[in-house]
Amino acid sequence: MRRGGQPGARAPGRVRLSAGAMGIAPAAAVAIAGLVGTAGAAVDPGKAAAPRMEFVAPAPGSYRLQKIQRVHEAVLLDTDGRTVKLSALTRGKITLLTFFYTYCVDPLGCPFAHTTLAELRDQVRGDPALSGRVRFVSVSLDPTHDTPAAITAYAAEFAVIPAFDWRFVTARRVPELLPVLDDFGQDVSVDVDESGRATRTLHHMLKMFLIDAHGEVREIYTLAFLQPPVMFNDIKTLALEAG
Amino acid sequence: MRIPRRLILSCGLAAILGAAASAPRADETCNSPYMTGLIKGQEDFVHVWTLGVPGMGDGSDKLVTVDANPASKTYGKVIDKISVGGRGEAHHMGFTDDRRYLWAGGLDDSKIYVFDVGTNPSHPKLVKTIDNLPAKSGYAGPHTFYALPGRMLIGNLSNTADKGGVTGMTVYNNKGDFVAKYDMPASTLKQVKGDGYGYDIAVNPAKNALLTSSFTGWNNYMRDLGEVVKDPEAMKHFGNTMVMWNLKTMTPEQIFAVPGAPLEIRWALPEGRNWAITATALTSQLWLIKRDAAGKWQAKDVGAIGDPSKIPLPVDISITADAKGLWVNTFMDGTTHYFDLSDPEHPRQTYSKHTGSQVNMVSQSWDGRRIYVTSSLLSKWDKAGKDNEQFLRAFHWDGHELTPAFEIDFAKEQLGRPHHMKFTANPPQMASLLQASAP
Repeated sequence: MRRGGQPGARAPGRVRLSAGAMGIAPAAAVAIAGLVGTAGAAVDPGKAAAPRMEFVAPAPGSYRLQKIQRVHEAVLLDTDGRTVKLSALTRGKITLLTFFYTYCVDPLGCPFAHTTLAELRDQVRGDPALSGRVRFVSVSLDPTHDTPAAITAYAAEFAVIPAFDWRFVTARRVPELLPVLDDFGQDVSVDVDESGRATRTLHHMLKMFLIDAHGEVREIYTLAFLQPPVMFNDIKTLALEAG
Repeated sequence: MRIPRRLILSCGLAAILGAAASAPRADETCNSPYMTGLIKGQEDFVHVWTLGVPGMGDGSDKLVTVDANPASKTYGKVIDKISVGGRGEAHHMGFTDDRRYLWAGGLDDSKIYVFDVGTNPSHPKLVKTIDNLPAKSGYAGPHTFYALPGRMLIGNLSNTADKGGVTGMTVYNNKGDFVAKYDMPASTLKQVKGDGYGYDIAVNPAKNALLTSSFTGWNNYMRDLGEVVKDPEAMKHFGNTMVMWNLKTMTPEQIFAVPGAPLEIRWALPEGRNWAITATALTSQLWLIKRDAAGKWQAKDVGAIGDPSKIPLPVDISITADAKGLWVNTFMDGTTHYFDLSDPEHPRQTYSKHTGSQVNMVSQSWDGRRIYVTSSLLSKWDKAGKDNEQFLRAFHWDGHELTPAFEIDFAKEQLGRPHHMKFTANPPQMASLLQASAP
């Protein structure tokens, strides 16, 4: 059974900090994060809501996805505890990559993302033209807790179909993960208690990255865009583009 | 009870994004629905993108930060300013999807300045200058900065070839790299001729709908307004269309004839609403873009703003969080209007106030209780003499009356011409992942 987090742990009114995408080094962001003080910030996310879709997804191949950015190399850790290059997980196939942690229980967080992915997996498996051409990659945001054993157990809940290429990976340690987060623009921050110590309640913006077989990010889905019919057609569009 | 040592993680910001995507917006409001961290309470800072004026201070365009929190000792004061080292017709700004960075554009030099406002919003830092927009796209005059996931969609006003109004949209990734360009339609689509002009951008993600409006090119917006209005040929070169795009495919699907330079666009995003609103600068009308019973988008003139025969020049609008009210600033008569939008097909002006000799941008807090007004339209279009007031004025709004809260005289303080405003709030104290993982 998957261990649970604290669904109510997110305090309303949080602004997260992250290693920025504009050239702010992760180490600098780390230092900055500890310096910023509290001043009654009034940010209120309001009630969460699932994405709405009130349109028909454009047909595959009727549009061209933007080439947003290349994925840079990194070394991660697979479920067997072996090192694996990120390029081996993001090239050669159409890849849908997301970040997660094993005990996230926010209904519209990681569980929602993985449920969406599971639905997409079933669609992909049902399309012979996509056979062997698509993989999913789930990268843990918490190398400290999410050991290879932990992600193996978690993966069993979603990736129980051996015929489908769904990889779960973690990192050896946080410093090796930070450049990956920075490259993808995946923000992460951690709450602190009243004395300024990290409480280890972490926030991140749910993002999924659609990557073509050449390692180029072609679409980014945040919660408002997690619309499986559109995502499936995007995958099909990349497959048609590759021929 | 002892806090467990293991990490307790939450997907809080996924929830934030979901809320932003589906909840109503206010000016905290004109932000992209993909942006996180809406400020629903008291904003701490107002950032004002300010045009430099020769002989005024250092003469440079600058980002001016004003303390807007009444609980602060420096409330209503300028607490920071960053000059960008030149005068490029500072105009509009927009946050990235993570609200950490503020992109600000120059309509004359087409430069884009990226400020870090997430680390310490009381003292933003200029972290990047993007100057390749004309070379990469052939467009000029970056106007609207609209966050998409991991990217910035930019609505431009002009082009490098003839400096007219034919232009398009550009996309950059959040690292500042050019990604794509999309021409505004200039051909005929479903019996309506496009003019190729651009201005504002507004997205409704649930409908896969991207709506754009149209203004004019460099030849007009960088020319003295008095000369422009007396030049019949120049007056032909204003936008008269809006375009509904398929956001996914980035292709235009429908062109609407909306005469008189439709400017800012605001979607009503509460669930069940299916309309957006805009105001036309030259004809002083409110236009509704709404789906009809057959599911087709229609543009409809729904009422006048002031006396259109006097050309009051509505220049900015701000929709309330519940989409039941709309602030409109008219530049020429210096008036701030409030319209009841309970029935968007029949807006009713219920309040107006003379807020300056010339007024341009109007921004409201999420709760609608605070209204901010700036004075400058464009360096060549602002009034002269004593009417050339340059200010940021903050007001309290109780639903009946605008009451002055504070005012900053940008001329007296040698700052320049204040134009676009964006709000930020002090972030709560947070730790990094690295700090949290330390033994």
